[in-house]
Amino acid sequence: MLIEIENLSVTFHAQGRVVRAVQDVSLSVNARESFGLVGESGSGKSTILRAICGLAPISGGSIRINGKPIATPRGKAFSRQVQMVFQDPYASLHPRHTIDRTLSEPLAIHGLPGTDQRISQALTDVGLPTAFRFRYPHQLSGGQRQRVAIARALMLEPEILLLDEPTSALDASVQAETLNLLSRLRAERGLTFLMVSHDLAVIDHMCDRVLVMQHGRAVEELTREALASAQMKTDYARALFAASADRMLQG
Amino acid sequence: MSALILWLRDPNPQSRGQARLGQAYLNWLRLRRNPLAVIGLAIAVALVFIAIFAPLLAPHDPITQELSRRLLPPGTPGNILGTDDFGRDILSRILYGSRITLYIVLLVILTAPVVGLLIGTVAGYFGGWTDTILMRITDIFLAFPKLILALALVAVLGPGMENAVLAIALTSWPPYARVARAETLTVRNADYIAAVKLQGAGAVRVIWGHVMPMCLPSVIIRVTLDMAGVILIAAGLGFLGLGVQPPLPEWGLMISAGRKFLFEQWWVATMPGLAIFIVSLGFNLLGDGLRDVLDPKSASK
Amino acid sequence: MSQLSVKNLRVTFDTEAGRVEAVRGVSFDLGRERLGIVGESGSGKTMTGRAVLRLIRPPGKIEADQMMFDGVDLMKASEREMRALRGPRIAMVMQDPKYSLNPVMKVGSQLMEGLRQRDRVSKAEAHAAAIAALTAVQIRDPERVMEAYPHELSGGMGQRVMIAMMLIPNPDLLIADEPTSALDVTVQAEVLSILDNLVKTRGMGLIFISHDLRLVARFCDRVLVMYKGKVVEELAARDLMQAKHPYTQGLLNCLPRIGGDRGPLPSLDRDAAWAV
Repeated sequence: MLIEIENLSVTFHAQGRVVRAVQDVSLSVNARESFGLVGESGSGKSTILRAICGLAPISGGSIRINGKPIATPRGKAFSRQVQMVFQDPYASLHPRHTIDRTLSEPLAIHGLPGTDQRISQALTDVGLPTAFRFRYPHQLSGGQRQRVAIARALMLEPEILLLDEPTSALDASVQAETLNLLSRLRAERGLTFLMVSHDLAVIDHMCDRVLVMQHGRAVEELTREALASAQMKTDYARALFAASADRMLQG
Repeated sequence: MSALILWLRDPNPQSRGQARLGQAYLNWLRLRRNPLAVIGLAIAVALVFIAIFAPLLAPHDPITQELSRRLLPPGTPGNILGTDDFGRDILSRILYGSRITLYIVLLVILTAPVVGLLIGTVAGYFGGWTDTILMRITDIFLAFPKLILALALVAVLGPGMENAVLAIALTSWPPYARVARAETLTVRNADYIAAVKLQGAGAVRVIWGHVMPMCLPSVIIRVTLDMAGVILIAAGLGFLGLGVQPPLPEWGLMISAGRKFLFEQWWVATMPGLAIFIVSLGFNLLGDGLRDVLDPKSASK
Repeated sequence: MSQLSVKNLRVTFDTEAGRVEAVRGVSFDLGRERLGIVGESGSGKTMTGRAVLRLIRPPGKIEADQMMFDGVDLMKASEREMRALRGPRIAMVMQDPKYSLNPVMKVGSQLMEGLRQRDRVSKAEAHAAAIAALTAVQIRDPERVMEAYPHELSGGMGQRVMIAMMLIPNPDLLIADEPTSALDVTVQAEVLSILDNLVKTRGMGLIFISHDLRLVARFCDRVLVMYKGKVVEELAARDLMQAKHPYTQGLLNCLPRIGGDRGPLPSLDRDAAWAV
């Protein structure tokens, strides 16, 4: 098991109120597997990813990667192992940094050599022309920005990629291209995906197993086969499936 | 010229420098749409130009006294703006005075906003105790009226230009700290900050390379708008005899000297007053124009 | 008889970076029906919707050979006449209720404001009308929602309040710009059925702007497919699966399906000729 999450709880304290964003969620992901988290807004699916990255406070349970509990603060070794792609490509790239700066930052932090060559390679890998290197984010379309965000996540050659709704802010045709790109990169580099989405069709297309979440709790874990053949055991998973009926193969 | 513009507008710049200049060019185009801002910029540029070339532009020496020609009215041949009570040419003194004004403005720009930006971003980024302590210190400085605090400092340190600058800088950083902190609070939870933290960046790198560039535009706008105030405080200290010392041609000092003859020889105090007015107005117009161009909320769209 | 008639509508922006043509010659007629406008971001679908209400900010400019709504020439109407039209006759629902509701005003007061100020209705009558509108959008305890502030409502609830607010003056035409994209799938279905019901019972015209082709096909009577500011295809919603234009076909094909094979999704190869 590459990622093991046991009884994870995340609790936020905001203005005297206690918000239990995640309660007692356990899941495990094999190396080179693609695991999906699906649920509606407020189900805590993104919070799990943020907790892994140290961006949300863990109030209970444990997270292990490669059998070792993850360190707090996460540190540089963690960042070479796990990277994340955020939902909104308009908010995840620094508006005043060129693509070059965005991509060279991880190399500078870790003191890696060969900046020029690595950046050109990274842009080519995600299907962007190298001429885009010195553009600013506002000179790119949403899909191109998300490609840059994916390139940035891969600069440190991590094993695990956390994907937080990577295509929900994109147009349908751009979503298809981005999903194809992610699938190709996973095959080429042997990446492990932990992917969050509200779209069952996207999860079905990308993931081997999926955990359905509601109100911060795990509802049901399904294999891809069980999902496609509608073999859910819980009412909520079935309701979610029914609401996605227009995303079935037979339109 | 057109080759340069093509180079600036190149959608695929070849280097970071070209990309940055290209953005600056777009900002300039945006600024140019606002005629008042262009007037403000022209005044600021004229101030710099006059300060550099004062010896060539001034018809007379600003300090040499010529008592036979004292208190001549404006329009006198050789003394277009008249002379003061020591027979010195007012135009020449105003032109040379621009050097002192510019010197004070530059020193304040190089100190107060830098300190404010540093304190504001650090307080906003770390939050908690750091924030509380730094911002309470800021509040204490903010609670004093600027001019009174500057007066107290000069009274302790003794009059003189350097001490005046120090006093102005010490009293004017808190607003920049507030602006920078407010901006930092909106930025620090952004995904791009999370992304760079996730890549293992330390606090110094995040604040310096990622948070500060986002705070800079608001601070620059604020600095430009505050320049008028800085010039006025400098002139105020000069007027009270606590800033630049005679016989240096500082504008505030000149007004102070002309006060005695305000009713009979109005020009002695009015001409440097006009100079202060024009320069202050220029910085205000420029600041308003810059707000439209640099505001991160409108520029990112 | 057509209620709204638009001929050769153009929306252009003059910016530092040059002239941007957001809408380039769009024409359509709308009766008492549900018209869907579909397209990807930047296709000009939102601008088309806003242009009908003349809600384009400078430097944007609206030009059209004709834009008539129920005998009123929208191109010639004064700003005052337009204000009288927006709301009472033509209403608009935006994507995100968060930005359309006043955050410091109770929902109830916002619902009653128009009635009280414009129609000079008594407080009790306005209250009754607001409750009726909330009930119409299937809000279970309207009294509680009336007393709530917008931030206390969930996304689905907020969007229902928005729709209720738009419906109080009983408009003849509703322009809905991605009214359900910010909502969860289960809530989305409910909001759509509410809209559908209202259109049927009140006989409103509806312009439904969305990026989601399948949603529009299920929900509307007629669909305009927009690409780079132009309408590339106009067809009855039930014929969508038999779309002729390669862009429409491409949009349909590139979506992942539950139970589909996991090979690469077909990509949409854009032909420069589509935009001409």
